[in-house]
Amino acid sequence: MNRWTISWSWGSGWNEGQTINLIEGMKLKAFRVRNYRSVIDSGWCELSPDHITGIIGQNESGKTSLLEALKSFYEGEINDDILRSDLSLPEVSCSFGIPAEMIRAVLNMKRVPEGLLQAFAREKELVLTRVWNEDKSSQVLAGGKEVEKIYDKLVASHQLKEEKLEARIRKILNETEKTRDQLKKLNQDREKLLRKLDLLKTDYSDREKRWRKRATGAEKEKLGAELEKMKEQIASLEKKAHEKAVASKKLSEKLDALIPLTEVSVAVHDTRRRVGHAEENREKIFRELIEIQQRMEYAPNEREQRAAQLKLDVTQELYLQANKQLQDRQEEYERKKMVASLVLGGKGVRQAVKETEEWFSEYHRLYSPAELGHELFQLIPSFELFEDFSSLLPNRIDLAEIIKEKSEAEGFKAARNFLIVSGLTPDFFRQANPRILKQKIENLNRETTVDFQDYWRQSLGKKNKIRIHFELEHYDASHPEKVGKPYLEFWIKDDYERLYPKQRSRGVRWFLSFYLELRATAIRQDTWHRVLLIDEPGLSLHARAQEDVLKVFEAVKDRIQIIYTTHSPHLIDINKLYRLLAVQRRDVEDERSETVVFNARSLQEASSDTLSPIYTLMGSRITEQKFIQPKNNIILEDVSSYYYLTTFFQLAGKKQDVFILPSTHVTNVGMLVNLLMGWGMEFIVILDDDEEGNRMYQEMKKNLFGNSDEKARRKICKLDSFQSMEDLFSTIDFKKYVLNKREGIPEKNSEYIENNGLSKSILAAGFKQRVQEDHIKFTHFDDETRENIGRLLDRINSMLT
Amino acid sequence: MDREDTIRRQDKELTDSIRYASLIQTAVLPTRDFLANILPPHFIFFQPKDIVSGDFYWATRLGKKVYVAAADCTGHGVPGAFMSIMGISFLNEIVSRKMPLKTGRILNQLREKVMKALHQKGGSKEPKDGMDIALIMLDMENRTMEFSGAFNALYLIRDEKLRVIRGDRMPIGVNAVEERSFQTHTLPVKEGDLLYIFTDGFPDQFGGPEDKKYKYGPFQKFLLSIHQEDMERQKWLLIHELLEWKGDNEQVDDILVMGIRME
Repeated sequence: MNRWTISWSWGSGWNEGQTINLIEGMKLKAFRVRNYRSVIDSGWCELSPDHITGIIGQNESGKTSLLEALKSFYEGEINDDILRSDLSLPEVSCSFGIPAEMIRAVLNMKRVPEGLLQAFAREKELVLTRVWNEDKSSQVLAGGKEVEKIYDKLVASHQLKEEKLEARIRKILNETEKTRDQLKKLNQDREKLLRKLDLLKTDYSDREKRWRKRATGAEKEKLGAELEKMKEQIASLEKKAHEKAVASKKLSEKLDALIPLTEVSVAVHDTRRRVGHAEENREKIFRELIEIQQRMEYAPNEREQRAAQLKLDVTQELYLQANKQLQDRQEEYERKKMVASLVLGGKGVRQAVKETEEWFSEYHRLYSPAELGHELFQLIPSFELFEDFSSLLPNRIDLAEIIKEKSEAEGFKAARNFLIVSGLTPDFFRQANPRILKQKIENLNRETTVDFQDYWRQSLGKKNKIRIHFELEHYDASHPEKVGKPYLEFWIKDDYERLYPKQRSRGVRWFLSFYLELRATAIRQDTWHRVLLIDEPGLSLHARAQEDVLKVFEAVKDRIQIIYTTHSPHLIDINKLYRLLAVQRRDVEDERSETVVFNARSLQEASSDTLSPIYTLMGSRITEQKFIQPKNNIILEDVSSYYYLTTFFQLAGKKQDVFILPSTHVTNVGMLVNLLMGWGMEFIVILDDDEEGNRMYQEMKKNLFGNSDEKARRKICKLDSFQSMEDLFSTIDFKKYVLNKREGIPEKNSEYIENNGLSKSILAAGFKQRVQEDHIKFTHFDDETRENIGRLLDRINSMLT
Repeated sequence: MDREDTIRRQDKELTDSIRYASLIQTAVLPTRDFLANILPPHFIFFQPKDIVSGDFYWATRLGKKVYVAAADCTGHGVPGAFMSIMGISFLNEIVSRKMPLKTGRILNQLREKVMKALHQKGGSKEPKDGMDIALIMLDMENRTMEFSGAFNALYLIRDEKLRVIRGDRMPIGVNAVEERSFQTHTLPVKEGDLLYIFTDGFPDQFGGPEDKKYKYGPFQKFLLSIHQEDMERQKWLLIHELLEWKGDNEQVDDILVMGIRME
């Protein structure tokens, strides 16, 4: 075989690629999108465990936003269109299955905080969250509850709690101020006292002289008494002054002791104030940024737009600086707080500063959540969005675009995929001389044959094979701006004709391009592990071809996780509804309301418009394209009952000319009954014997059957003493054929499902599948199950006839 | 001397607690009066190996239906006694729903409860504890009976012939291979029919001239030889036979034999 002709089938071709199974690698398990276009918070959306997840919903419901959010998570890029008008910033989290040894392999263990690996092992998943900043830059943080706990503990262990520290700082500052005031007053009082004492002493000395030299007789005696009194006063004042001096000394000492505490406390206050200023500054610049952006949008002419752009660039730079300043000051604040904590705890200032520096250098040595996120990000599978513009094979593409890898060029990905499949790399085209290159291409057999035999049931000529042919050409004068420049031209050939890709049907072109994408993935060694996001794969395909797409998904699901959006029933496997996420607007009438997502467990809560592909599918399968029959319609409470009953009919070999119509919830049964009655169709209803089922029975009996039990019982079959269809199984059969587990279940099957938070529809779908794949027969059940099911089917039959 | 005293004291304390446990075990077993009220003529030969027993019997009445069981839990002594108390509680709980269940379904439910209580999920490393049991339901009104067994069998003597109705070959508890539903054997009963349910203690007892197990064949023959005696005498003869056979050998396991004569 010529090396340039590749002929292969889906089944065999994949072995050429990397053989590591997805399950062994880091599988995407769930995602959560916040503040992204119409999505405020999707909640955790769990992906199907078998690697194919479909997102259903009507147009404008937000399906594509979820895919784009995942792409943004991987690539880190967002544009203004995705930002919400409330300016809240987007966050996309993804949870991956995580073999601990893989994590260990990419991390520098010296930088891993203590207990982190154990936390990963406990969580058994790695949560990475990409958060975007106002300037559209982003970072990936490693998260998960256990991991966050480790980081919280890391910080908390070295610092007093914020409030506690604040209270103590306030106390210290108050005490210092009070002591200062007391000391000041004491010193003033003492000085006053000393002044008074001086005066008294001077007076005493004058009088004493007079008494000694001049006074006689009675005057001398009087003076002598006065002097005695003054002496006593002086002694008393001297005593008081002494006391004040002692008290002052004590207060001074106290103040001296308070000084270092005060200093660190003041430093904390000051730095916090500085943080506040930095925040205000950043906020101010951010407001300016928004204003300039708005001005740019409404700029009347190009000149003003350029001026605005210039200002925008400068302001963006200022914003980054302000942000950096804020971060620096925040760290400074943290340092000051830590020093204060240590000093208040009894350490000397110098020692406290030393310990703080040591701790921060240790802290910086450890991975931050962002650094950890950055390291672990390299482990995750690549995410790629298969979109029509870039991924469909074009008629032509400029060689320069291939060489420069301009991924935004029309058809770039498809052309690149084709070249990979053909065994060519972009280097091949780097040959400077286009003539030599053209010659080289002509020397090769320039065709790749694609064999659709296994997966494309529509006929494409006798052999169902097509060939893709490419040539190197140069623009002529009809393209004056590119004249003389080389481009690649593609042709699709079958048994009859040779056409440009765009001349073929859009379906063939889509399928072919998708086929190339998958094939190229298998060949490229670097991307053995990836998540392929596909927006509306069925849009341009015929119904059967859509089913072919599902077959292709099945064939590649062990290597590639697929998440696709659709509103086509042909892209849903009725037996695998657990693969679906349903998306709709919170207010289904309002396209501006937020997007909400329902997972497999809550599908029934989605609106019937959202679930319409499922209903269409159920209707078309059972009655072979008939919608509702005039007779033999059976209304059920929910989808899980549908799975069970259709399978019971099949197992018991009962006639199947019945149309089984599942409601989305027991509360909607009444609506379906009304509809069928309105259309004059005959029907029966099957209700569980639980609280809600009984309530619905009473409601219908009252509203539709004149409150007569007899009449109601002719139309409504209650699963007497069984709370739901699952209870028809004996415990042993329930475990064997529905649950696939061996643990002891003393409670009713339905109670077990509820107590363990299991999805009824997933279990029911699994049962249906197991019956089909394992060729389970009715006789395989034990007598209890056979008896219960037999009794129900007999009752249905008797009610229908 | 001190050490000996301590050991003697500890031994006494231990024996006292086990004796107290035996009181509890006796309290949960059906009383003689209760059995006399609900059952036709019968005997119960119950001989624990230790103070407390891993074998237990149980009976209850639901309308005109009487359920009787003889069971043997993994181990004997204290561990066996724990299991037996659990088994009796579970059986009471299952029949307390006032809806007569087939014997097979009672055993199915009993197994679920035991597996749940012992956290058995079919893993290779988990304990395989459980119990063997023979359960019969006598429908006095319709003159029929149901039997289901986990390893244990039912002997029915009618017209001088002994018929063995075997139980399923799986325990109440996790099975080595996947669990299946227990079968329910439904049979008509006649006046004079003798029903025997028992644990493996009697047939497994070592003794005799060659110091071997008594075995099931001789056990069946012995029952055939005594079945015409009245029930109390049958019990006495069984005790006598056991003592004869055992001789100086130690009793290997708990022993339980129940006989019922249909009226």
